[in-house]
Amino acid sequence: MSVGHVQRAVELAGIPTVGIFVKSFGHIPGLMGVARALITPHPMGRPLGAPGDGERQLSVVQAALALLSTEEPTITEYPQPYRPGAPTAFSG
Amino acid sequence: MESSAKNPAETIEELRKSFFYGSRSNLNFKFLKDLSDTDFAKFLSDMLDAVGKTTDDGDAGRVVDVAYRWQVDAYGGHLGDPADFPHRYADTPFTALPKPLSECRVGLLTSSGHFVDGDDPEPFGEQAMTQKDAEGRIGEFLRAAPELSTIPVTTQAEQLRVRHGGYPVQAVAADHQVALPIQHLQELAASGEIGEVASSAYSFVGATSQVRLKKDIAPQWAEQLRGDEIDVLLLVPV
Repeated sequence: MSVGHVQRAVELAGIPTVGIFVKSFGHIPGLMGVARALITPHPMGRPLGAPGDGERQLSVVQAALALLSTEEPTITEYPQPYRPGAPTAFSG
Repeated sequence: MESSAKNPAETIEELRKSFFYGSRSNLNFKFLKDLSDTDFAKFLSDMLDAVGKTTDDGDAGRVVDVAYRWQVDAYGGHLGDPADFPHRYADTPFTALPKPLSECRVGLLTSSGHFVDGDDPEPFGEQAMTQKDAEGRIGEFLRAAPELSTIPVTTQAEQLRVRHGGYPVQAVAADHQVALPIQHLQELAASGEIGEVASSAYSFVGATSQVRLKKDIAPQWAEQLRGDEIDVLLLVPV
């Protein structure tokens, strides 16, 4: 809920916004009226993907940023399932 | 394993609730508190079935999937009913993108609870609060006003800290990009997909007073972000 309040305030201040919400909180964007939301099918605490899965994380960020070009409020689900235990090294 | 002979019997309800800031606190599974005893039994059965199969083929993904599905169902059932959701809005503020993303200065804000080593927000005046302490004081966090931590995007990963009593921080602590994707944004700036990354990202503990955030703090932060001259904002709730 917290980010929903902030996202609305920033949008009202004239800055386009997009939020990345995990599926467990996927009901929040619609109820709170946020402008753009990407819903990821990830467990709570892993909004962009598994630790070390830089490829997925980057893909999620790109998918979210792509929503900024929409001309009306949008809630979209990221299409790929969560990938635990990604083989790439932790980025820090 | 301890014998239960000396201990009074624990009810199923007590067991479920023990994962929610109780004796077995586990923020990955705090949703168990909200299951019925019958559903809790189904959850255990599903998990044990998945573990049994994984014992043979090593596909731990099915265990993760069971936990994920029950988590989604629990949160959807607990909070998904619009009649029970306390912070509904009837409108949807919308600002159109003013120019191509490749020319935009992108800001980043997350409710992850990140801060930079040496710039600890010190909640309630306590120095070096641990993650465990933060979980133990979750009730106080939920009543207090949030504080925004500034994270220069030049901050090295080893200088980042994360502490948040409301969600399992283990994945974010292992890889900060899970919720604070500064490096990924920098990569997109380098490739020209976005114009540039704002000089600072922001983080706060999302387990906070919703009333204070809604009424006073969020508009203040919005003005602060306007001062950063960002064109768009990426938000990452946890």
